Amino acid sequence: MNTVGRAAWEMLSWGIRAFGGGFAIAVLGGIILGSAGGCNPASPAAFRLNLEGREPRRISFLQRESLEELMVELFGTPDEPRLPPGVELNLELLRMAAGPAIRMGDEEGYGRQRRGLYREHCARCHGISGDGAGPAALVLHPYPRDFRWGIFKYTSTLPGLKPTRADLRQVLRRGLPGTAMPSFARLDPIELEALVEYVIYLSIRGETERYAVQLILDEDEPLPLSIVSKERIIEEGAQWAYQQWLIPESDPQQYVVVPPPPPEVSMPAAWADSVAKGRELYRSERAQCVKCHGPEGAGDGEQTDLYDDWNLAKKGVTPAQTARLSALFSLPLQRLKARDFRAGIFHGGSRAEDLYLRIHIGIKGTPMPGVGPNGDNPGVLQLEEIWHIVHFIQDLAGQNPFSQKATGAAGRNPLLSELSGSTFGK
Amino acid sequence: MHRQKENELPIKRRRVTRRHFVAATAAVVATHATAIKVPQVIASLSSQEWGDLTGRLVYMGKPPERQKLVVDRDVECCGKYDIRDESLMVGREGGLMNVFIYLRSRPARICSELAERMPEKVVLDNRDCIFIPHCMTVWYPRQKYHIINSDPIAQNVAFSPLGDRAANIIMTPPPDPAAEAWWEFRRSQTVPVLVKCNYHPWESAYVLPRDNPYMAVTGPDGSFQIEKLPVGKAEFQVWQERIGYLHIERWPKGRFEISIKPGLNDLGTIAISGQLFQV
Repeated sequence: MNTVGRAAWEMLSWGIRAFGGGFAIAVLGGIILGSAGGCNPASPAAFRLNLEGREPRRISFLQRESLEELMVELFGTPDEPRLPPGVELNLELLRMAAGPAIRMGDEEGYGRQRRGLYREHCARCHGISGDGAGPAALVLHPYPRDFRWGIFKYTSTLPGLKPTRADLRQVLRRGLPGTAMPSFARLDPIELEALVEYVIYLSIRGETERYAVQLILDEDEPLPLSIVSKERIIEEGAQWAYQQWLIPESDPQQYVVVPPPPPEVSMPAAWADSVAKGRELYRSERAQCVKCHGPEGAGDGEQTDLYDDWNLAKKGVTPAQTARLSALFSLPLQRLKARDFRAGIFHGGSRAEDLYLRIHIGIKGTPMPGVGPNGDNPGVLQLEEIWHIVHFIQDLAGQNPFSQKATGAAGRNPLLSELSGSTFGK
Repeated sequence: MHRQKENELPIKRRRVTRRHFVAATAAVVATHATAIKVPQVIASLSSQEWGDLTGRLVYMGKPPERQKLVVDRDVECCGKYDIRDESLMVGREGGLMNVFIYLRSRPARICSELAERMPEKVVLDNRDCIFIPHCMTVWYPRQKYHIINSDPIAQNVAFSPLGDRAANIIMTPPPDPAAEAWWEFRRSQTVPVLVKCNYHPWESAYVLPRDNPYMAVTGPDGSFQIEKLPVGKAEFQVWQERIGYLHIERWPKGRFEISIKPGLNDLGTIAISGQLFQV
C-alpha cells in the first residue's frame, strides 16, 4: 500500500475505534469527495494561514501570498521545519516530530517511529498547524488547545508567563483527565521531548504569524515585505515570543511556583480543622470561589457566562454580533463550565500539589484567577490558606484520607483515581 | 543500547546550546528588556524642537441614548447605581469623548520635560461598580499601571494584550492589601486593550500601553492635546471603541499625517457623523 493510502486507512480505523461508524463514513466520504474534487494527495502538507476572525473578502491575494511566503521562509513547512535567527530550538528534535506519520521498519519489519510524531499523535485534534482545529476538534469539549496564542492553561509559572518545559512534559505524560487529551506516558522520553519542542515551535510560529498578520492586514505594511519589515517581524514577533519561553527557566525562584509544605493534617481532627477553614475561605469575599463554583462546589455559581480567551474573541456585545463574529472562526463559540469538584476529576491533575498550583496561579487563558502572591502583588490569600482550600476541595471530591467510604467518583473508582490522581506520573 | 545512545544525543546538544544562549542573554531576560527598541528620551534642546498637537472631535447628530446595562450581580451594592453603556459617549457641546489619538509613526525622540512632568503611575479605579476612567493610556517604560478597588465588594480585572502577559487579578475590598495591584506592560499595542471584570460582566474599560507618551484620549468636550512632539512629519491613529479605527473622509482607516511645527499645531474642530456609529 502506498503511504497516502496507508495514512488514510490508519485514520479510518482510528475513526472507527474512536467515534464509531458515523465518523468513518464521514471520513471516507471526505476522502472520496476530496479526490473527486481534484485534490492532489501527493501535494506536501502546508500550514494553514491564521485568518481567524477576519473577513476573507477584505484580504487581498497579495497579502495572503506575502504572509504564506514569509511564514515558510521563517518556519519552513510541516514536513521540513526551519527556524528564524535567534530562535534557538533544537531542529533535530523538531524533525523527529515533523513530517508525515510513517512508520519506518528496520530489516525485521519493526522499528521505532523517528519521524512524524506530531501527525501520528497530535494533529487529529490539534491540527497540523497547531490551531486546535484538527478533524476531531469540533466534537470535543473543551476544544483542543490552539497553540498559536502562546497560552497554556496548566502551568507552574506565575500568571502571564509561559509554561516550563516540565509543565508541558507533565501534560503529555499524564494527559488532561476529564478531557479528550490522553496520556502519552508510553512514548520514549526522547519522543516526548521532541513533541514538547514541536509544541513550542508551533506556538512561537503561531505568535509570530499573529504579529505578522496584524502588521500586514491592520497596519498596512508595504508589500512585498522589505528586509526591514522582515527583520521587524523576526525581532518583535519570533524572537520576542522565543524569549518569553526563556523567562521562567532563567530564574525559577522568581517565576516558578513550588507549593510549600502543607500544614500538618496527619490526624483526622487536624484534617477536619483544615477542611473547615478551607470551607470558610472558599466562601469568603476574599477568595471569591463561590461566584463560579457555587456554594457547594458543584460548579453552579452565579457566573455562567464564562469563556476562555480563545472563545472570548468570538463574542460580540449583542447576539447578532456574536453570530457574525464566530462565523469567522474555525470552531463555533464554546462556553466554559466551572469545575464541579464533587466529581473528583480535575483537568490539571488531582494531586494536592496540582490543586495548589491551580489556585495559587489560576488557569491561564480562562476566568480562573490566581489568588497567591505574584511579584509585587501580595495576592488575596496566604500560602497556608491556599492549602486549606485544597483540603476542602479534596474533601468535596471524596479524597478525604481518613474516610473509610470515600464518596467522590475518584474514591469510587480506583482506575479513575489512578489516572487523575496521586500515583500517576510521579 | 545503540538506540539509547542515539536517543540521548539531541537532548544533550539542546541543553548545551540553550544554557549557552541563556547565559549570553541572561541580563536581557532578567530585566525583561528585549529586542524591541524603545524611543530615546532626549533633553529639551530648545523650544524650537517641539510642537503641541490639539483638536476637538464633535459628534454630528442627535446624541444617542446610552443604554442601561443589566446589573444582576452584587445587586445590593451595584444595583443602586445608574450604570449605562459607555461605548459611545457624547459630552459637553457635542464633544465626542473617549477617542484614542496616538502617534502611529516612530517618534524620532521624546522630550525629557515629559519624563519629568508626567505622573509615574496611572490609576484604574474600580468605583461604583464601573472602571474609572473608561479609557486611558500608559507610557509603559515610564509609567506603572496601578489598579485599585474602591468598592466594598470584590472585583476582578482581566486583560490579554497581544503578545504580552495576560492579567487576571482578584481585587478584595479595601483596606485589604489586595485591594490594589500593580501591572507592568512590556510592549506597545497597536490598538487599545479591553479590560474586563469576570464578576461583573457589564464592566469594561480600555487601556493603551505604548512605548512613547505621544497619545491622548478626548475629554468631556471632545478635545485632546498631545504635548512636546518632535518637530517634523508624524502620522497619527484615531480609534474609538465601538467602531475601531475612526474612518472618516479626511482620515482613511482612522489615520492622518501632519508636519508638526514648533509651537501649537491645532487641527481645529473635526465633525464626526453620528451615522458612523450605527453598527
